Amino acid sequence: MRTAPSAPEEERGASPLSAAPILTLRNIHKTFGSHQALRGVDLDIRPGECLGLIGDNAAGKSTLSKVISGTYIPDEGEITMAGRPVRFATPSEARALNIEMVYQDLALCDHVDVVGNLFLGRELKRGPFLDQKRMLAEAERMLAALEIRIPRLTAKVEKLSGGQRQAIAIARAASFEPKVLLMDEPTSALAVAEVEAVLGLINRVKARGVAVVLVTHRMQDLFRVCDRVAVMYEGTKVAERAIADTNLQELVDLIVGKGGH
Amino acid sequence: MATYTERQAGSRLADFIGEHAQVLSIALFFVLCMLFFGAMTTTFLTSGNLLNVVRQAAPILIVAVAMTLVITTAGIDLSVGSMVALINALAAIVMASGLDWTLTLPLMLVAGALIGGIQGWFIAYQGIPAFIVTLAGLSILRGFALYLTEGYSIPIRDAAGFFWLGRGEVLGFPVPALIAILVAVLGFVVMLRTQYGRQVIAVGSNMEAARRVGMPAKRVLASVYVVSGVASAVAGMLIAARLGSGSSNAAQGFELQVIAAVVLGGTSLMGGKASMLGTVLGTMTIAVIGNGLILMHISPFFTQIVTGTIILVAIWMNTRLFDRQWRFGRRKSA
Ligand SMILES: Nc1ncnc2c1ncn2[C@@H]1O[C@H](COP(=O)(O)OP(=O)(O)OP(=O)(O)O)[C@@H](O)[C@H]1O
Ligand SMILES: [Mg+2]
Repeated sequence: MRTAPSAPEEERGASPLSAAPILTLRNIHKTFGSHQALRGVDLDIRPGECLGLIGDNAAGKSTLSKVISGTYIPDEGEITMAGRPVRFATPSEARALNIEMVYQDLALCDHVDVVGNLFLGRELKRGPFLDQKRMLAEAERMLAALEIRIPRLTAKVEKLSGGQRQAIAIARAASFEPKVLLMDEPTSALAVAEVEAVLGLINRVKARGVAVVLVTHRMQDLFRVCDRVAVMYEGTKVAERAIADTNLQELVDLIVGKGGH
Repeated sequence: MATYTERQAGSRLADFIGEHAQVLSIALFFVLCMLFFGAMTTTFLTSGNLLNVVRQAAPILIVAVAMTLVITTAGIDLSVGSMVALINALAAIVMASGLDWTLTLPLMLVAGALIGGIQGWFIAYQGIPAFIVTLAGLSILRGFALYLTEGYSIPIRDAAGFFWLGRGEVLGFPVPALIAILVAVLGFVVMLRTQYGRQVIAVGSNMEAARRVGMPAKRVLASVYVVSGVASAVAGMLIAARLGSGSSNAAQGFELQVIAAVVLGGTSLMGGKASMLGTVLGTMTIAVIGNGLILMHISPFFTQIVTGTIILVAIWMNTRLFDRQWRFGRRKSA
């Protein structure tokens, strides 16, 4: 079965009627040495919608999200944002357009404290100096809003648990009014309550009109927050489904490559 | 039935000691050195001698502050000694050719920045390891100094204002020491309180993360070598002003003293972890040991052996005894 784009977009209850895509990717290629990580991927990302990105290990999910966040420059292909072609030479250019990402490796600085990591790259200043008091107060507010509990915000991040570190990476990406929020396996180290909090967060930001891309291996989460699911296989997008039109078994089959037979 | 209890917050003191173990241990070591030499000699603790120690330590301290930035980025600058010698010689040559010292000063600072910038460009933008680039710099810059002076010492004449920088006093306190203290305070503030300092730490801690959050990671990496170039230029001129001449043989082994001082102070060679206060204490410890051994009439040849050994032992103690989890009461470590 080839990927016939599923007829008129079906909507999940919570999400608004699907708007025009905020980001469109066309024919994205990325090669590392001799290894073709992405082999011509098309993707639409819509505001107020959560797109699930699934696929086997090494399918190219992280690579694709890093292309969107400006971390990797694609070898080929076009990206348009709100109708205008864009080309990100550095992650800061994507960040300037409110594209935020939770990286699979978290991208935290171990030797900087929790507050510093939350504000990494956009430190608040008073005159020429860092405004540590205001950053601390804001950080407390940011973490409280996401129900993240960390006893001492001036502790170095290296002293925290894996889940706490992940929570910080999520808070950093979600707290600065993103328009596009890319989350690469954000819940892989989280406990039950924290996963619930992240899913709650996704539904909340969606309602605000944020476009969310969720890379995950937790299939049950897809059905709780996603509106569409794109399946990747060996560097290509092999299928795209509205969540209401599919079920767990079909998605699993698509991931392992049974969908094509 | 399962009972749930919350973790109790442990003593703040334990956190404090845990985070500042390195600085506390070097401070302790510094005090021990002071007491030891104070007890062994009658002259060590006189104000005249102590002022002499800070005067001599000034150039090392200035460059050590800059080196702290470099090492925080997980880099190293081996060329600082040669840079000091080159600027030292160049300043004397330029002044001998008739340029006023007030113009020579900024010119030399620009020269230091430029040379540092070239090295930084190779390191940050061409990806050559800092060790290699600055090792080449060590050879090239010293070579230039030798070539320009042909090995002779070049006297500086009629520059009272310039000499004041190296020999003068303000309220009985040596001018070079004042400049060094100023530089150290500046380094302290920049490192802990400014965005640039935060960027330097971030680049040393996780360069890719720094890039991803939009920091100009390569520019920051290159910039620390500019800073160390400028600091070396300042040190080179202070030495020229103190000795009243410029020589290509100045500052032999200078880079090793500087690096030892920084590492002794607890800044990690792996990057990300910096301590300006530790650098100041490390520099003063090395200066005190050098001075104290001379006052004890120990052969100057022996001084080098003792200094090296003490550095090794001190750093060994740092890592083995002090750099561990501190526990007070019944606090459980995570
Ligand atoms: N920086 C890189 N250099 C070389 N090869 C890379 C690089 N990044 C990714 N790859 C390769 O590209 C392919 C896709 O990797 P990617 O990280 O995108 O997979 P993924 O779908 O995120 O997998 P996972 O579920 O394991 O996270 C892999 O084969 C990987 O080896
Ligand atoms: Mg991945």
